[in-house]
Amino acid sequence: MSKFSIEADIRSKLAVVLGFSTIAVFIQHIYVLSFILIISIAAALLFGANILKAIKTTRNLWYLFFIIVILQSIFSRSGQALLAINGFPLITAGGVLKGGEFLMRVSVIVFSATIISTSNSREVVQGLVQLKIPYDIAFMVSVAIRFLPLLRSEIKDTFTAIQLRGLDLKKIPLKRRIRVYLYIFNPVVAGAIRKARGLSIAMEMRAFRAYRKRTSFLKLRLSAADYFIMVFTLIFTSAVFVMFYYFNFPAGII
Amino acid sequence: MSFIKFENVSFNYQHQKLLLSELELSIDSNSFTAVTGPNGSGKTTLGKLAMGILKPLSGKVLLEGRDISTMSLGKVGSKIGYLFQNPEVQIFANTVIDDLGFVMRIKNIEENEINKKIDTVLDFLNISDLRNSNTFNLSYGEKQRLAIAGILINEPQFLILDEPTTGLDIGRKKMLSALIEKLLAAGKGLMIISHDHKFINNFSGKVLKISGGKIYE
Ligand SMILES: Nc1ncnc2c1ncn2[C@@H]1O[C@H](COP(=O)(O)OP(=O)(O)OP(=O)(O)O)[C@@H](O)[C@H]1O
Ligand SMILES: [Mg+2]
Repeated sequence: MSKFSIEADIRSKLAVVLGFSTIAVFIQHIYVLSFILIISIAAALLFGANILKAIKTTRNLWYLFFIIVILQSIFSRSGQALLAINGFPLITAGGVLKGGEFLMRVSVIVFSATIISTSNSREVVQGLVQLKIPYDIAFMVSVAIRFLPLLRSEIKDTFTAIQLRGLDLKKIPLKRRIRVYLYIFNPVVAGAIRKARGLSIAMEMRAFRAYRKRTSFLKLRLSAADYFIMVFTLIFTSAVFVMFYYFNFPAGII
Repeated sequence: MSFIKFENVSFNYQHQKLLLSELELSIDSNSFTAVTGPNGSGKTTLGKLAMGILKPLSGKVLLEGRDISTMSLGKVGSKIGYLFQNPEVQIFANTVIDDLGFVMRIKNIEENEINKKIDTVLDFLNISDLRNSNTFNLSYGEKQRLAIAGILINEPQFLILDEPTTGLDIGRKKMLSALIEKLLAAGKGLMIISHDHKFINNFSGKVLKISGGKIYE
C-alpha cells in the first residue's frame, strides 16, 4: 500500500500519545473531549495507523466500555430526567453526559495508542531505553506486545473448544455460565504462564542480564520532523490546559 | 450419503487473498483420510471449516446432509471430535477427572453415570493411572491423550486430529498409531492432518494434498 503517512521516531509518537491522553484524563469537558477525539483520530491516520483494525481487535474491550457507560449513566444522577420510573429518575441528562465523557476519554486513549502500533516492537524497546527507562522494563513491554496476538488466537480456540465439548454458551443460564467462564480461564492462564516460563528459560540461556550495561546496534535518531512533532505536541497540550483552567474556555455546560 | 461434504467451498481470512478455492470433498463416516501439505497451505483451516468453526466465503459444508452453519458448535462436537494443533487449549480443569466430568456436571448428569463414562474413556486410552493427576504438569503426550479423552467422552462418530504427531517421540507415536487403529476398528471415521508421511502411511485410506488453494488426491 502506498498510502501517505508520517515516518516518525517512536519517541515523538509517545509524546503525542502522552499529550492527548493527559488532556483526556484531566479535562472532563465534553467539548474538549470531542475536539481531542477528532484530533487524535486525525493524528492516528496521519501516522498511518489502521483504526478500523484497532477497533476490531479491541472489540471485547468496547463491550466492556459500553456496559460501564450504561452503569455510569444510571448511577450518576443529575440534571433533567430522561427516563423515570414511578417518578424515580432512572436515566438523567447528567448521567448520559458522564457516560459519553467516559466513552470519549477511553476512545482518545485507544485511538492515540494505535499510533504506537505503527512502530515495530524493537523500535519501541530502543525508544524506551534511549529515554533512560531500564532495559528490563522496556523489554517486558515489548514481549507483552508481541505475545498478545498469539494469546488471543489461543483464547479464541479455547472458547471454541469448550463449546465443542457440548456447552452451548448462549443457552446456559447465567449462574452456570459464570462457572463455565471460570473453566475457560484455566487454559488461558496456564497458557500465559507456560509461555512466560519458556521465555524466561530462553532468556537465561541467552545470558539476559549477564552484563549490567547493554550496548545496542540500533540507535534511534530524531529528525527535524520529530522535533517539530514533539514541540508542537507540548505547545498544543499546554495551550489546551491554559485555555481551560486559566481562561475558563470552553465554559461549563451544566 | 457422505458424512462430511464440501460443496464448492472457498475461504479466505479477512483482508487476505483466497486461501482455499472451490473445494469439492466427500468423506464417509467410517473412513480414514489424511490431509497433507506444506506449512501455511491451509490444512488447519480445512479442518476448522469441516467443524463449522470457520464459515466458508462461498459454498457449503454439509454434515450428514445438513448445512453445518445452521448447527451449534455443541451439536457438531457431539458428532465430530476435534483435536486442536495445540491440545493445551482444550484442557479446562485442574485435575484429569474434573476435566473429563465438568461438562456433564454442569448439565446435572448423575454422578454414577459420569464416573462410569470417565472410567471407560480412561481405560480406552490407557491412561487410568492419570485419573487424579494435575493437568498442568502432564507431559505433552499425556495432554494430547487427555484432550482426546475429552473428545471421546462425547462419543462422536468421527474425529479430526490436527498434527497429532508433533511433539511425540517414537514410542508415543506408536501408541498414537495403535489408538487410531483401535478407533477405526471401533467403526469411527478419522481425518488426520499431518505432514508426517511416514506416520500417515501406516493407515490405508485416502491421502489428500493441499497446495495452492486446491486439493489433490
Ligand atoms: N486467524 C487467522 N487470521 C489470518 N490469517 C490466518 C489465520 N489463521 C491462519 N492464517 C493464515 O492462513 C494460512 C493458512 O493457515 P493454516 O493454519 O490453515 O495452515 P496450515 O496448513 O495448518 O499450516 P501448519 O502446517 O503450519 O499448521 C497461513 O498463511 C496463516 O498465516
Ligand atoms: Mg496447521
